[in-house]
Parts: sequence; structure tokens; C-alpha cells
Amino acid sequence: MQKIVDVQNVEKIYGKAGEKQFKALSDVNFEVKPGEFVGIMGASGSGKTTLLNILSTLDTPTSGQVEIAGEDITKLNNNQMADFRANKIGFIFQDFNLLENLTAYENIALPLALQNTAAKKIKPAVQSIAEKLGLTDILNHYPTELSGGQKQRVAAARALVHEPSIVFGDEPTGALDSKSARALLDTLTKINREDNVSILLVTHDPFSASFCDRILFIKDGEIGQELKKEENSRAEFYQEILDSLGTFAE
Amino acid sequence: MLNKLALSGIKHRLRDYTVLFSGLMIASAIFYMFMSLATNQAFLSSNSPAAATSFIFGFGIVLLAIITIVYVNYANTFLLSMRQKEYGMFMMLGAKSSKISRMIFVETFAIGAISTLIGSAIGVLATGFVGRWLINLLDMKVKHFSSFYLPALLWTLLFFIVIFMFSAIRNSVSLRRTKVLTLLNRDSQPVKIKRNGVMKAVQALLGLILLAVGYFTMYFSGHNPGFIYLGIPIALVTIVAGTYFTINAFVTAIIVMLKRNTKYSQKGLNNFTLSQLSFRINDYTKILSMVSIMFALALGAITVGLGFNNQIDNVVNGQNYYDVQVTNPNATQEKNIKQLSIQKKDTYNFKSDGKAVYYRNSQFKSQPIGYANMNVDTMVFKLKKSSDPAKNSNAAYELMNTRLPKYRTMEAKFVSDTEYAAVKGQESTTVLIRTTSFKNNLPMIKQISKDEIKRFPELKNAGGDKYSAYTLVNGFFSGLEFMGFFLGIAFLAMLASCLMFKILSGANGDVKRYSMLYKIGTRQKVLRSTINKEIGVLFSVPAILGIIHVLIGLQLFVKLLYKPYTNIEIPFAIFLVLYLGYYFLTRYLYKKIVLK
Repeated sequence: MQKIVDVQNVEKIYGKAGEKQFKALSDVNFEVKPGEFVGIMGASGSGKTTLLNILSTLDTPTSGQVEIAGEDITKLNNNQMADFRANKIGFIFQDFNLLENLTAYENIALPLALQNTAAKKIKPAVQSIAEKLGLTDILNHYPTELSGGQKQRVAAARALVHEPSIVFGDEPTGALDSKSARALLDTLTKINREDNVSILLVTHDPFSASFCDRILFIKDGEIGQELKKEENSRAEFYQEILDSLGTFAE
Repeated sequence: MLNKLALSGIKHRLRDYTVLFSGLMIASAIFYMFMSLATNQAFLSSNSPAAATSFIFGFGIVLLAIITIVYVNYANTFLLSMRQKEYGMFMMLGAKSSKISRMIFVETFAIGAISTLIGSAIGVLATGFVGRWLINLLDMKVKHFSSFYLPALLWTLLFFIVIFMFSAIRNSVSLRRTKVLTLLNRDSQPVKIKRNGVMKAVQALLGLILLAVGYFTMYFSGHNPGFIYLGIPIALVTIVAGTYFTINAFVTAIIVMLKRNTKYSQKGLNNFTLSQLSFRINDYTKILSMVSIMFALALGAITVGLGFNNQIDNVVNGQNYYDVQVTNPNATQEKNIKQLSIQKKDTYNFKSDGKAVYYRNSQFKSQPIGYANMNVDTMVFKLKKSSDPAKNSNAAYELMNTRLPKYRTMEAKFVSDTEYAAVKGQESTTVLIRTTSFKNNLPMIKQISKDEIKRFPELKNAGGDKYSAYTLVNGFFSGLEFMGFFLGIAFLAMLASCLMFKILSGANGDVKRYSMLYKIGTRQKVLRSTINKEIGVLFSVPAILGIIHVLIGLQLFVKLLYKPYTNIEIPFAIFLVLYLGYYFLTRYLYKKIVLK
């Protein structure tokens, strides 16, 4: 079966040779299959942001290979990287990162506009994703007029509207209250199930992680334990994550 | 310890501080440049025939002072926007707010003092440089001009010290009053959205009406000079208000229209640019209106200044038909004459018996004499030719001035060849040349005229040739032209720096937006072109309005200047090149701040 994400022997070292160096990632290997909902968990400084930056072509690994949707992203030049992000990746950030001078509709339409999609195709695409995420009534509002939960759903719609190969979430529930966080995670799960969208979530929050199918724990730049939900209920999986965190932290 | 931290904070943001310092130095340099002319009474009174000059400069000082205050205010906002987070952090860590406010006071004042001192020194150099450049470029005669003028320097220092004192107090008070949390998070404070369509429509209409009234007033005052003292204040008020409303509402309306056009707006980052602009316009209305008015005044000053230059040509050409006149040319002069690009060369002989001078009719038949005829009412001169100067007083007058002074008072008689041969007396030859262009041949004409004065020293006071008329008139108008140029360039530098700072002070808030766009896959090239477009619009809105103001404003001068619209492309080009320079500088600095 084809892999959406294939990471092999990735290493990231900060600092030039001869200077004091810091190894942020060492020998990272993992893969994500189409339609999988994968979580990467780790404490602050564990290397999970570095890993996400590399996966999303915002940073390059010192060595190793990263393939996303069959393309080796470590060999792309700057323009190709930008295009790759625009076409193949959807982003959901912790602090929403919506443009406050664009309406919700315009924010969602942005990735399509960036790809120079024809104007008449943009509207139905935005409306369809807005409907799915329950945003139809607030499309003409500006971000400042929205609640945190609504903002994050707009951000999710923006990440999904151009049908990317994979959606990366960087602590997407970090800035939300528990109710909104729950709603967002439910939405993501639904989209993952119904539309077979692959999602990779980076988080340190066990509750968010419990919505994933599989969790990779990262510590000091290395992937340690791997946890699979399989037939467990979400609550059981949550407990299992908490237990692992306890042992993993030691 | 805190002082040390604050200093190291400056080191980390050296680039931003360079922008701040250079901006403030430009401000004080320009202020000095302006003051060096405006406070130099000897310069003003010896270079301008018009009593209005002092008044114009007084008005200029007030305007420049206002812009400078606004400018320092923006620079100050820029400083605060850089520093508040750091100072907020110090306060969070337990620094007393009195200590912090003292620090920001010292910092603001020190920045002001240092940049003013350096700026004034630059101003002295720049005044000398620009002065010499203009004098050479435009072949001006300027008296009592000195680049170092102590009263101007003292005024500049005093003025800047006072405004920085106020800025420093303001900063320290505002820091003391603001909550720590607000300081820490000010960047992420949401922008309020105002939506009021009806108000905007009324404003757009009102803006256009006011502009129309202002333009008409200028046109009317220009053609009815008696109305001018009422017309100028009316035009000033209506145009300032009209500009404000037009920018606030009309430009917004255009942006809204473009946004509605989904084919355009939903392409690439167009929608983002439009939204950035519509948000900016709200925030920028005041400065854009001010810039467009200043733009008009500055461009107007240069254009009118150059108009005086055209006046020189007009007056000089109205005096003489011929560019060069030589009596009995020697070998050197003959050689020099050959180097001119000649349009018409006439040679006449005359004899004098001590009472009258005698010309041969036949010479005027074969080569009719040219003369300039100026219509005193319209100030327009016409070039004509006559083959019978005996019956044409204008031609006879032109001919008289071509003779050496001792022959000018004698009666001129035009006789047949036989009668001429019979006249006993010394014969002289007058060589008259009209070149294809007086200006282009000026250096050689100057040489020939100088040689002629060396041969006939009496010509030095008597004049009569075109070059001496030119020297006289040039001296008269150069002062005005110089002031126009100087004023214009000083204003331009100031207004463009103002706009630059306003834009740059918002740049820190844009960093996040651009970084987000980058993350979701916008190419660097697209980001750069978006910035270019955005800043381009912010620069061109006031420029377009300013140019329209000037084009119509020149109507004020139709009776005062000879053809005020001639060669208008020259001042416009000079001005736009300088303005474009500022545009490129701004977008360069902006990208430095915003893009990684």
C-alpha cells in the first residue's frame, strides 16, 4: 500500500560544524498510510516542532529522506517547496493564524486563490467545506467577530479546502476551551473517517492525542514508543496514553 | 542592570534602529536645509524681487514644522512598537514602572538628540551640495547663499530638542499608564472593523464635490487675479477636505468594487492585498491626505520655480533676435562663431561720419534683418524679419543695439550703394548670428561675448547683446527658481519620509501575516510582489491626487507666468524620480522587516 508520509533516517543538527552543535532529531523513521490519523506526542523541546517543520518543508533535515505523497521533499528548491505546501499540505496552527483583514470566506478561499483556481470553482469548494464544518452562517464574518472555536474551524476549513494529501495540526486545540477543543477533534475525526483525509497531529495533550489511530512518542529527538488504538474505545486509549506518558517520561 | 539589558536590546534590533536613526537624521537635515534659506534674510532679500518671499517662507516654516511634528510622532510610534514588548517584559519581571518610564524617556531623548546632531551636520553638507548642484544645473546666480548658517542651526537644534522632549514625556507617560499585559500583547490586539456603507457613499460624493469646488476656485482666481486673496484660502480648505474624503471613501469604494470582482480578487493574493489596503486606508487617511497635499505643494513649488526659468528664456528671447553680435570680428571670434550651430547669419556694413551712421539698403534686401517683437500685454514675443528697417522702428531698434555704444545715439540712414560709396568715414562690419538654440550654444556664446567685451570695454556697461540680457534676467529669476526647487525638494523628502515611516511602523504587525502566508505555500516571489503592490498603491494614491492638484493649481499662475505648462515634464520627472527612490527604499526596508 502506498504511503502518504515516509520518513527515513532523518537527522537534524543545529549549529555549524566546528561550533557547538545540537542534535534536535536523530534517526527518525516512521510512515503514515492514506487515511490514517496519527499523533506525535512529546514534551517541550522533544523535537516535535522540528519534525513538523521538516515534514511541512519549512525546514530541511541535515540528513535522511522524507517522502510525502510519493515526492522526496528534501530535494525541492524554495519555489517547489512553496508550491508543494500550497498543493499537498493543509495546516492548522495553535493560534489559528487567520488573516484578520479577510472574512472567514476569504480566509478559506485563500489556498485555492493561491493555486489560481478559477473563481467560479472557488465558491462551491468553499461552501461545501463550510457546510461540512458548520460554518455556513459565519462566512461573512471577520475573525475578530468569531469565537476561538469558530476561528479554529475556519482554520480547519482553510486547511482542507484544497483537498491536500495530508493535514498537519500543530497543537490545534492549544488555544481552545475544552468544549471547543472537543468539537474540533470530533470534526477532524469525522473528516478523517468520511473523507479519508490523512491527518498528522503534533500535541502534548493526551486528550487530543486520544482521537488518533496511532501515536508516536518522541523524546530527545528520537521516536520511542508507538501506541495503537485498534479496537479500544477512545476513553480506554486515553488511559493507555496517560499510562505510557508516565513510563515514557521516566 | 536594566540599562544594560535595554542597551543590548538595541543591539539586537540594530537594523530597525538604523531605519529609525536615518529617518530622524533626514528629518533634521531637511529642517536645517530649509531653515538655512528661510532664516537668511540677506539671502531672501537679495535674491527675490517679490515682497511675498518672506511670507511664502514663513508659511513654509509652519508647514514644515507641522510635518516634522507628525513625522517625529510616527517615528516615535515606530520606536514604541519595537520596544513595548521588551519593556513590558521588564515590568513583568518586577521592574518598577517609574524606572521603566525613566528609561524610555532617556532612550527617546537620546535617540532624538543624537540623530538631530548628526542630521544637522548632514544638513550643512547637503545644503552645500544641493545648493551647488542646483546652481550649476540651472546656471543660476545666487547671492548670500551659505551652507553653514548659525541661526538656522540653532533653530533646528532648539526645535528638535523641544519636540523630542515632548515625545519622551509622552512615551514615558504612555508606558506608565499602559497595563503590562497590554504591552506584552499589543501586537496581537485585534483590529476593529468599521462598516458603514451609507456614510462612506456620502463622504465619497462630498469629497468629489469639494475637490471640484477647489479646482474651480483655483481656475477662477487664476483668470481673475483680483479674486486671488479670497480664492486661495477657499481652495486650500476645500481641497484639503476634499482630498481627505476622497481618500477615505472613494478609494475604499474602488477597493470594494475590485473585491466584488471575484475574477480579479480571487486570484493569487489579490484579495489579501486589497484587504490589507482597505484596512490600511482607514488607518492612513490622514497621512495620505497630508502627503498628497504636501506632494502638490512641493511639486507645485518646483514647477513654478522652473516656470521662472522658462520666463528667463521668454524675456531674453523677447529682447533680441540674434544670439551673438560682433563688431569687426577677429580671427579667434571667427573661429568660435564657426563652432556655433547657426540658423541665420547676417553681416551688415555701416559707415559713420561722426553725426550719422549709413547702412546700405541692398544689404537688407538680400538679408532681411530679424527682430523680436514682444507684446507687452500677453508677454508673448514674435520673431519677425524686415528688409526695410528705415520704416520699421522695431527692426531699427534691434539694429541700433548691435552697434557699439558710441554709434547708438547717432541717426541711422539707409542709402543706396552709390550714396554709401560716397560717404567718407570709418567702415565697421557687424556680424549677427541666430543659433538653433541659445541654451545649447550658451558656453560658446558666453565666450564670444566675453571676447567682445575685452575688445570693446564700453560694452560691459552698455550691453545690448542677448548674453548680457540673459545675465541680467537670469540673476533676477534665479533666486526664485532656486527657492522653488529647494522648497520642493525639502518638502518632498519630508513627506516621503513621513509616508515611509508610517508604513514601516506597521511592518512589525505584518510579520505574522506574511509568515502565515509563507507557511501555507506562498512563493517568496508572490509575497514580494504583494508587498510591492501594496506599498505601490499607498505611494501612488497621494501622488496621483497631488499631480492632479498641481496640474489644476497651475491655473493660478496663468496670468503671472509665461505659459506655466511649458516643459512641465521636467519638474514632474525630477520629482517622480526622487519620489520613486523613496518608494523603492520603503519597500526594501519593509521586506527586510517582514520577510525572513
